[in-house]
Amino acid sequence: MFYLLHLVMLVLMMSIGFVFAFLAIMERDLLKAVVFSAGQAAAYVIVYYLLMSPDIVLAYAAIGVGIYSAVMIIAIKKTERYEKV
Amino acid sequence: MGTREKILLALIIISLALLAVILSFGALGAVPLKTIRPLGSFYLYFMANNNIMIQEIYPSITKPSDFWAASTEGVTAILWDYRGLDTLFETSVFFFAIIGSVSVFRYYSASLEEKNKKNTNNSSINTKTSDQGLSLIVKLITRINFVVIIAVSASIAFHGQLTPGGGFQGGATLAVAPLLAIAALSRYFVEDVGLKKNTMLTIRTLGLLIIGLLALAPLIMGLVGGNPYIMENQPKSWAMFIGFPSFGLGVLLGSLAFYNMAELLAVGAGFTVVFLLLTLPEEFFKKILSREVGEQ
Repeated sequence: MFYLLHLVMLVLMMSIGFVFAFLAIMERDLLKAVVFSAGQAAAYVIVYYLLMSPDIVLAYAAIGVGIYSAVMIIAIKKTERYEKV
Repeated sequence: MGTREKILLALIIISLALLAVILSFGALGAVPLKTIRPLGSFYLYFMANNNIMIQEIYPSITKPSDFWAASTEGVTAILWDYRGLDTLFETSVFFFAIIGSVSVFRYYSASLEEKNKKNTNNSSINTKTSDQGLSLIVKLITRINFVVIIAVSASIAFHGQLTPGGGFQGGATLAVAPLLAIAALSRYFVEDVGLKKNTMLTIRTLGLLIIGLLALAPLIMGLVGGNPYIMENQPKSWAMFIGFPSFGLGVLLGSLAFYNMAELLAVGAGFTVVFLLLTLPEEFFKKILSREVGEQ
């Protein structure tokens, strides 16, 4: 039972991450895309936790949500916010 | 949604379904694993125990302290002891990457002077750097969070040989603190407080220097007696030396704790240097670089 719950949580979080990744690719407003990408990272943090790799969780949470988003936002600030078709 | 996007979505779904089928037929085994792989169980048995004898599984191991890392955390034990040289070179790759970005921004001090000159010219606007940044509420919360993030990163790194965590994880977490401060309080405020580029470069070089010295420390200790190898943590029967102190669980364990502290400094300060450089206003650089290329 507990094992099944584990797998269901895993599938749920993977799906949320997938949805966020898809939204991040499709979004024309790049600032919103960065936020979606951070959401994908947050979902994957839980996936890595369920897969029993707490070391990856600690590194991925700091880099995926914090540092990567910040670098992307700096890049957007220095270039353009909206993607042209 | 256009036709192109529909095709893209369909392709993604098909490839994911294919991957799911492959995985569910056991390409990587059951996910998550119910059992531990043989290599993993070897590390789990021996990294924290120097007196466990498992004759039925490992008949050839008669002296378990030879495979002892004096750590209860498998990842840190493998990163800084069993596969220590890998991590050493990985850290130097990071070091050189940041050297590259520092050398790209080579007019750093000149650009800061330009900014100061502009400030004195129109002294009515932005005279104090503490006036810049976001609203008072955000600034106050950022100040509280700054301390909390630093405390969390220290606990991740300094406890890294006992619980999940380690130098890189702690350093990456530490780098988020100045990042928040740059976003909420402006980068000039962060520099005024003392998180300057050169200070950070010094801290980072210090961290790497400590890592290098720790790697060479067994050889230096070997001058007293024994025949240690580079990056040795605990004495082995084929490479005896005094060894790093390992008083037991809960206290400093081997060289891993020191490596984690040095890596925390190197990674945290390294990321901070990159953020301080990336958030520089680029007008000055554009002016200088266009002059260098010959455009006007």
